[in-house]
Amino acid sequence: MFGQYTSTFRYESGDFLVEAERIDGLLTYRRKCEGRAFERILAVSEAARVTVNPVEPVNLPKDITDLLQIEFTPIVLEPGAAQTVYLKFPVEIGVFLASEKGIDILDIFGAGAQKYTLYGPPAGGAIARWCRSGVYPRVPPVERFREGVMELSILNTSSEWAHVSCAVFNGVDMKIFYNDDIAAATATMKIINPTIAETGFIDIPLVPGMTRSVELYRARKIRVISRGYLMEWGLS
Amino acid sequence: MIFSLTATLGTSIGIGTITVGDILWFAGIIVVGVIIAKVVALNVRRALTERLPKSERELLAKVVYYIIILWAIAVALPYLNFDLSGLLVAGGIVGLVIGFASQSVVSNLVSGLFLMFERPIKIGDNINVAGITGSVEDIKVLSTIVKTYDGIYTRIPNEKVFTSNITNYVNNAARRFEYKIRIRYRDDADEAIRLAKEVIAAHPLALKNPAPMIYVDSLGDNGINLIARIWAPARNWWEVRTVLLWKIVKRLEENGIIVPYPQRTLWLADAERTPGSDAGAGKVEE
Repeated sequence: MFGQYTSTFRYESGDFLVEAERIDGLLTYRRKCEGRAFERILAVSEAARVTVNPVEPVNLPKDITDLLQIEFTPIVLEPGAAQTVYLKFPVEIGVFLASEKGIDILDIFGAGAQKYTLYGPPAGGAIARWCRSGVYPRVPPVERFREGVMELSILNTSSEWAHVSCAVFNGVDMKIFYNDDIAAATATMKIINPTIAETGFIDIPLVPGMTRSVELYRARKIRVISRGYLMEWGLS
Repeated sequence: MIFSLTATLGTSIGIGTITVGDILWFAGIIVVGVIIAKVVALNVRRALTERLPKSERELLAKVVYYIIILWAIAVALPYLNFDLSGLLVAGGIVGLVIGFASQSVVSNLVSGLFLMFERPIKIGDNINVAGITGSVEDIKVLSTIVKTYDGIYTRIPNEKVFTSNITNYVNNAARRFEYKIRIRYRDDADEAIRLAKEVIAAHPLALKNPAPMIYVDSLGDNGINLIARIWAPARNWWEVRTVLLWKIVKRLEENGIIVPYPQRTLWLADAERTPGSDAGAGKVEE
């Protein structure tokens, strides 16, 4: 399903149906996912392309936050320790229309349930998209269109032991790459003290040869300076 | 011929007793006044960039600019032998009249400036102020525009906004709401709580953390009263609140847990009491 299409295409598997076909001369985009359907007639030039790829998982069911919080099995790090682990994150699929005149978002969909949480206190905290993940020592097997893999390098720069059971990321910074098997991102978490950490993403593919996803903020023409996220309300 | 600065400055220009020095003083004060006015106006513009729309920002900057210019002229005019005492008397009377007339305008203006700096409300916030509930459409220099939830345009003078209790429903990221759910005495409250928690957990916008809380609150006349306290994003809480209650009730009813009607059990003096009977199980009068 992920890739770039210049004319009609069709992908159907399990709960997913994504297609662009000509009906009575009109190019029509259709999507079905877990019973939810979406349809648009596309008035585009011959040179227009449809791109389908994983996007930052902070848009469904509503675009109310840029933050993604992943909760995982607690990890204890000694002072100065570094540890690389693999987590799973929910995949949201973006469908983009691109031509010489620019790029636009056609559709965003995803499988599975979504949940939001509050990171921090009600006054001063922030709403974040929430998901739970196991902690894996190597790239875990995933359902390709439902879960992605995040390589998280945790570094405890403080002089105290750190207990970490969640990581909060700014989804706008997220760089997602994909290949025929997985969608993946590479992230870092620098623990400043036992309650504060800095998270961010690295713009390199997890596996050489992966294709970089078109990001939503690019399609929305939002100027973004990659600045990471400061977790100041605790690490668990 | 030796140039004498003192003599030159003291030279009369032929209009009354005004000297070259007086002219230079006048010009100097005006120039300094213009410079100060420009600097202050520029800083006013910068300070209000994110707080005021451009038109109002420009207006305010111009008002500040001309006030400073007028002040500079008032300071400089005595050097040209203008006696401002007469003007001051007349100006004082006029000022008094204008002051009384524009008291509320100035009050609203000052309140508006304080609102812009304190920022208890922002455009788009859902608020309650002076008994008016709605979303803030605009914050102007003199007034705040609120669109009530039934779509009515309401203009509130800034003085009223500033001196009233303001409730900003979306200032915090999340807010809590609660339901009271009543079940029959014969129903299992633990099961009802479990089912309600399942329904709440399935709703994306019912926050995972702070966790929802459901508990037996009281033993009422007509049934067991449960309280469900749920946190939701402050800007989306209403859509969660309007959806969840009915989902919870339906799930409970699907599992045989019924919301009871108000009821009274009457024991007649000559009737035999049945052991173990409870509300709803005896003779019932609704």
